[in-house]
Amino acid sequence: MHIPDSFIPISQGAVYWLIALVFIALSLRWIRNEMSEEKVPLVAVLAAGVFALQAFNIPVTMGTSGHLVGGALVAIVLGSPFAAVFVLSLVLIVQGVLFGDGGITTMGANIVNMGVIGGFVGYYAYHGLLSVTKNMFASAAGAAWLACIVPALAAALELWVAGTFPLEAGLAGMGLYHALIGVVEAGITAVVLGLIANTRPDILEHAEGVPA
Amino acid sequence: MIEDLFEIERLAYGDSPVHRLDARVKIVIAFGAIIALVAYPVHGSVYLFAGVMGALLVALLLASRVPLRTFLLRVGAILPFGLSILVFQVLFPPVAFASPTVLLALPLGVEITAEALAKAAMIGVRFVLCIGFIVLLSSTTRLQDLLTGARRLGFPSEFTLILGMMARYLFVFGQMFVRVMNALATRCFDPLDRSLPYGYRLRQTGYTIGTMFLRSYEQGERTYTAMLCRGYGRDAYLFVPKKPLSRGDWTVLAACMAVVCVGPVAVFLFSTLPG
Repeated sequence: MHIPDSFIPISQGAVYWLIALVFIALSLRWIRNEMSEEKVPLVAVLAAGVFALQAFNIPVTMGTSGHLVGGALVAIVLGSPFAAVFVLSLVLIVQGVLFGDGGITTMGANIVNMGVIGGFVGYYAYHGLLSVTKNMFASAAGAAWLACIVPALAAALELWVAGTFPLEAGLAGMGLYHALIGVVEAGITAVVLGLIANTRPDILEHAEGVPA
Repeated sequence: MIEDLFEIERLAYGDSPVHRLDARVKIVIAFGAIIALVAYPVHGSVYLFAGVMGALLVALLLASRVPLRTFLLRVGAILPFGLSILVFQVLFPPVAFASPTVLLALPLGVEITAEALAKAAMIGVRFVLCIGFIVLLSSTTRLQDLLTGARRLGFPSEFTLILGMMARYLFVFGQMFVRVMNALATRCFDPLDRSLPYGYRLRQTGYTIGTMFLRSYEQGERTYTAMLCRGYGRDAYLFVPKKPLSRGDWTVLAACMAVVCVGPVAVFLFSTLPG
């Protein structure tokens, strides 16, 4: 769902860039204030790791493959939606400038979709679901599913505002496709979180609901 | 995607007049060209303008001696998502046209009209050229030069410092990714292999990704500690010495920016003025 250049008019792209910059500044402030000491290097290295794990193909039914975005995962493990904003902004900048995946003028929109919307939806959905189900894996799966489908719908909406995408057919197409990928992303996120809870429970910010 | 990083960097270490240009010049030209392309209205004259920008791209590409096949493969790898948006747009036009010319009527009331095709083609031309400029930029500029160039152009130090750290570890994790994929292949495990049970594939892929996450997190912890030992702190600053642009750099910059700035205005006026 990386929106490429030329699909969003330059004026609207600038608006998304402004929103993205505000959130990037907030996430930079979060790292300086909230994370113990000055752990900026840790998050920078983790961003490179997230870039690498996005390269793994994950099996989606019917022969298609997708890949993990990881916004929900980062937000849940590091315990803040701003962590996802920060990490995914770095990843999207590298993807956009080095590979041309996602555009320059649309990078703001992509950061807003995958970093801001994905991170916030993933984090708050996780904690909402956790307080109801008390099960870490089910909540992580639900959060990851939502963090996959909501940004896709946001991207479809932005493209519709830009006049390059139909509304109903676009929402239905993007929604259905990502609902399918989201199920797999949900499963993978739950497995990954289980692995982290087993091997490094100390790095999980909120370890409640972890089975002993 | 990450495994292509090494090939891109190898290309960027080549030598040609374009490789030797200062990174600032290349960044400004590439971003300027993309902004000009996106800002140009979706209008019949977009093809003429695309021709002008395409000529600039081809001239720079020839001067850079980047192999054409590699260049086209890299551009082609990025196209699918944009093309799928374009196909969607043709099948379900977001804006109703006044008097559409139906070329082909499909079942369920879906119609392909000449107007929708024309609009998609105009957006598509700009889209492909934008990718071309970005691919040329990263194929001729080393990652470290891009960062230094961005810093010299006034990009904040906090951000270049972080991006620099990330960039360094991209290569570490790129190699790790290749090793992990080889290890999986030697055990005949393919996440897309349909003869294996689905749950098993999902779990194994999840463990692989989780291990990658943990390894990068722990690498981050080690890097952070090592940097603390070397005096890293809140006031760390990426120092980049000033470097004036050479006369050749200025000439290329002026020539290309003249095309990028004057081109769109001239083409638009030329094609809309009556007579």
